[in-house]
Amino acid sequence: MDISSIILPLVEITLAGAIINASVHFVPVGGAPAAMATSTGVGTGTTQLAAGAGFTGLLAAAGMAAQPGIIASNPLHALLIMLSGAVGAMIMLGLTMLIGQLIYVYGVGIVPAADKCDIDPITKDPQSAFITPGTTGHGIPTVCFVSGLIGAALGGIGGGMAYVGLLGLGFTIPAIAGVLAVGFFFMNAVLASYNIGGTIEGFHDPKFKKMPNGVIASTVSSLVAALILVGMSMGL
Amino acid sequence: MSHGGGGHAAELFPETQVLGIGLVLALIGMYIANFLPEYAMLIGGALTVPACVAGANTTRKVAAYGLGTGVPSIGMVSLGMGTISALAAVYLPVALGIDSMATPIIAVIVSLLIGAIVGKLTQNPVGMKVPIIVSSMIKLSLMGALSILGFCTAFAGGFSAKVFIPGAIETGMIGLAFIAAGIAILHPFNACLGPNESHRRTMYLAIACGLLAWLVFAISKLDAISVVISAVLWVATYAMFVKMSLNDASDVLYTPELPKKEE
Repeated sequence: MDISSIILPLVEITLAGAIINASVHFVPVGGAPAAMATSTGVGTGTTQLAAGAGFTGLLAAAGMAAQPGIIASNPLHALLIMLSGAVGAMIMLGLTMLIGQLIYVYGVGIVPAADKCDIDPITKDPQSAFITPGTTGHGIPTVCFVSGLIGAALGGIGGGMAYVGLLGLGFTIPAIAGVLAVGFFFMNAVLASYNIGGTIEGFHDPKFKKMPNGVIASTVSSLVAALILVGMSMGL
Repeated sequence: MSHGGGGHAAELFPETQVLGIGLVLALIGMYIANFLPEYAMLIGGALTVPACVAGANTTRKVAAYGLGTGVPSIGMVSLGMGTISALAAVYLPVALGIDSMATPIIAVIVSLLIGAIVGKLTQNPVGMKVPIIVSSMIKLSLMGALSILGFCTAFAGGFSAKVFIPGAIETGMIGLAFIAAGIAILHPFNACLGPNESHRRTMYLAIACGLLAWLVFAISKLDAISVVISAVLWVATYAMFVKMSLNDASDVLYTPELPKKEE
């Protein structure tokens, strides 16, 4: 195995960790309060949402990688694998937010409103007038939905990139590459969720400014993981 | 969003003892499973349960500080680090040219390393304010790796690469180990937390969850003796847990059926 075939996967896996961490910061996570529609976002934890979108993205990427004629070492094909991952993750998170929104609006009976901005940066609709006193927003307003889609796309690209890197290292059996990518994804998603510390509405949230810390942490941890993976690949 | 309502309940079982027992038993179980493949699920599976319990015990200790992201997150990071360590332990002996007997030891070393680095990272750039986060991450990473490697070794009947890879990875069993062991580690405290949480009750649920994970593996291997033993033990511990919960509750009321018409 020559040095260039190690460096490229190493860079890909490290970069993938950083992208996965960044992606989690875009996803509107409301936690337990959002499950009662007293906080903006989807009513579950960061890890669960990121994992759901990430796994779907990973499966979509693996599905594309298994297509006949797709060679992961070809940059164009690698891009296709990553884009397939992005689309898979976006569909997953988009549907989660859409169905959640239907339940919030027609089931619980609330008006989607963001707490962290007075005017929705995308639709320019006023937000603060619609927030029930005592709550921190509710539902998934447009800005959070768009932010979530961006996050899912980044997560899918990150997962796909990790998968391409693992294929490049020689983990050609899909089960092994998939399981390693899942473990790797969780490590970075949880680092991001600790960086957020609970809930976030999307890119307009003040907590979004903490993102560089999480990205640095994930870059370091991914580099360590990538070095271990390179060591493992020597035994293939 | 703080979890762990009542803070720390009295610690009845010292953490280091539980960890030590979990570590030693899981290692013994893996070696027995490797040398006696016909008893792999019975002994290897049974001795992996203490590793899950030790993981659940550490989860209880660290999550009581209030992670801000829910208890499952720390269980998932434990299993994420554990998966990488367990697979590294299977592949590294081949890469380094050492005997496959070193696999469990390598799993311990790699998981300690990853746990320490990730723990430090959660403290320094990320800024978690939990004083025991570094040591807990190390312990959780270790127990995650041991439970995944333990259940997969029990299923495959050995931990050398040529037995483990076709037996536990290509069959997808490692995915089951990820989530079954994950639930055994993260669920007990997640279910029991709150005011009046008692260590004894949480530990009973942890043992029940560990046994349930073993039962799932025994069923997937169609190992009749293990299925019967794990099922009996699981029912017994879970019944004990339910009994303790009912005893500790101030009152137990069953919801009646809603009246048909308002009177």
